[in-house]
Amino acid sequence: MSRVMALCFLLLAAVIGFLHIDSRPVWAPFAVTPIQAEEALDESVTTKNKALVKSSVATPQTNWLPDTGAPSVHAASLMTLNDGAVRAFWFAGTREGAADVSIYSSVYDTKSANWSAPTVVMDRISAEKGLSRYVAKLGNPVPARLPDGRLQLFFVTVSIGGWAGSSISSIISDDEGITWSNPQRLISSPLLNLSTLVKSPSIAFTDGLMGVPAYHEWIGRFGEFLRVDAGRVIDKRRMSSGRNAIQPLVYVNDTQDATAYFRQTRSAGLPKKIPVSHTQNAGQTWQQSEDLAIANPNSAVSGMALKSGARILVLNNIENGRYRLVMLMSDPKVGQWQMIEVLEDDEALPDAQRKEFSYPYLITVDGNDAHLVYTWDRKKIRHRYFSGPWLKQAFAKLQVEAQVQTQEISPTRQEAQ
Amino acid sequence: MNASMINSIMQTLALIELSITCAVVCIWMLQKLSPNPLPFAVKIFLILLIGNILFWPLGMDLPLVAYVRGITGDLSIVLSLLLWSSLLPSHKPAPIAFKFAVVIIALCFYPLALGFEMIDPYAWGYGSIVFLAAVLFFALVCGLTNWNKGVWIIAMAIIAWAAHWHESANLWDYLLDPFLAIWAICACIGVLYGRKRDKARSGYLFRPG
Repeated sequence: MSRVMALCFLLLAAVIGFLHIDSRPVWAPFAVTPIQAEEALDESVTTKNKALVKSSVATPQTNWLPDTGAPSVHAASLMTLNDGAVRAFWFAGTREGAADVSIYSSVYDTKSANWSAPTVVMDRISAEKGLSRYVAKLGNPVPARLPDGRLQLFFVTVSIGGWAGSSISSIISDDEGITWSNPQRLISSPLLNLSTLVKSPSIAFTDGLMGVPAYHEWIGRFGEFLRVDAGRVIDKRRMSSGRNAIQPLVYVNDTQDATAYFRQTRSAGLPKKIPVSHTQNAGQTWQQSEDLAIANPNSAVSGMALKSGARILVLNNIENGRYRLVMLMSDPKVGQWQMIEVLEDDEALPDAQRKEFSYPYLITVDGNDAHLVYTWDRKKIRHRYFSGPWLKQAFAKLQVEAQVQTQEISPTRQEAQ
Repeated sequence: MNASMINSIMQTLALIELSITCAVVCIWMLQKLSPNPLPFAVKIFLILLIGNILFWPLGMDLPLVAYVRGITGDLSIVLSLLLWSSLLPSHKPAPIAFKFAVVIIALCFYPLALGFEMIDPYAWGYGSIVFLAAVLFFALVCGLTNWNKGVWIIAMAIIAWAAHWHESANLWDYLLDPFLAIWAICACIGVLYGRKRDKARSGYLFRPG
């Protein structure tokens, strides 16, 4: 009799379980921002581009995120607000991983070109009270925009050990980041939910859910694509495996196709290039592919796409150290990355005097410009603004050079034939 | 009731659940130290006492159980119910076949789930019908081998997952956790060691003189 009752209860559980699976949203395509009217690279466009290359545009603006008084700062990120302003998030404290580290925020007024006074978004005590568990340290704030317009901020917390023991939590704001909800824990790992971190911006799906590129860096070092419904992970897919690649950065090519670039974490003797993964089904499966032939010294890369279709990448293009930071641009039709600006370079200095320039984070406000923040010697966060005309000029230069290269190759081929 | 209030209630329930589980572990350790079995009433009293000490902040920033939760997270429903049910007067230990199955599953599952290869069995827990069917089959086998408690526990874990009882939306987190795996490994090693010892003893007794 007791067995019959137990099996009847199991049948009930089976029905509830199947109904639960049936109610889950199907995997939707990526939401894609349309690229501005594509222009064929004909003679008139080339002439226009050549004129644009020669014209003078304002140089990029540089300033600093406001001082919090803390000696150590790191991991800045940005989000465009509804009024066109830019909100920055970063963590600051006596040192990275210290108990007094808090996540700060400040708003950049694009008209006055000034940052507001910093405010604390989350500190360790608020995090542990909201999450109902002990928290030792905080880090890596990464903002996202929910489909209903609210702001969401992902960040990592550690209860025991180093950053490898991180778990992701998130808070939500109804008022563009002035006030925030209690934090919610995202569960993404079966081993005590240890070792999942965020660094790069999220990807939107057409059904309003979010794809969060995350990574593990404990036993394995690999990327994972989390499918997140507000504060809950409802699915996840592996982007790489082993101990080679963390901090995925995703470029969406179309509604199904995307490419992820990683920070390499390979052991000595292995190539110090950017690992790449690719999906052709909106992130449901990922295949590791050939490295991108750009040096990477085990440091974060940041990137984004502009309305024109141009792609920007900011990284340390050296195999060791983080003393040089550059901006690269690519025309996806051509596929080659070219340096358009050296942002920082301490190569001429002796090793001991070289500073660290790391953790870049890029966003665009209007689809044509770019705001960049990065850690400057762990003491400050530097902000750089690249105007639309400046980036357009760089892109035009890129296209002209590509056209010249094509013209140089074509006669050679004709001669060969 | 808004989402924030629901979240707050669920956090409190998770702390109560973990407080009870920690209290049960304390009683289990006391029982191991005590030469006589503890009466059921004493166990209930200790659950209430230790559970309350763990759950209330007692002047600190956080209750003691929050420090445990910081490290362990939410334990699986299967482990919690196995522990809780061990207090019942009619308690019988889980069959060794179940423990052996947990060991095999854990040894295959954790390396893959922690990034050994591109295949990730943990992802099946979010909504794979095949995985749910496999779990149901496992529970059915428990029932057919006369371990009805296993059927009840696995069924409750599935219902808890469907009801979003914990923060996780993954069925694996309701079925398995590292502590359950360690318990199963220790139990299997204990059984193998016991058999080896018995065999050695019987060999000694029946050795020709």
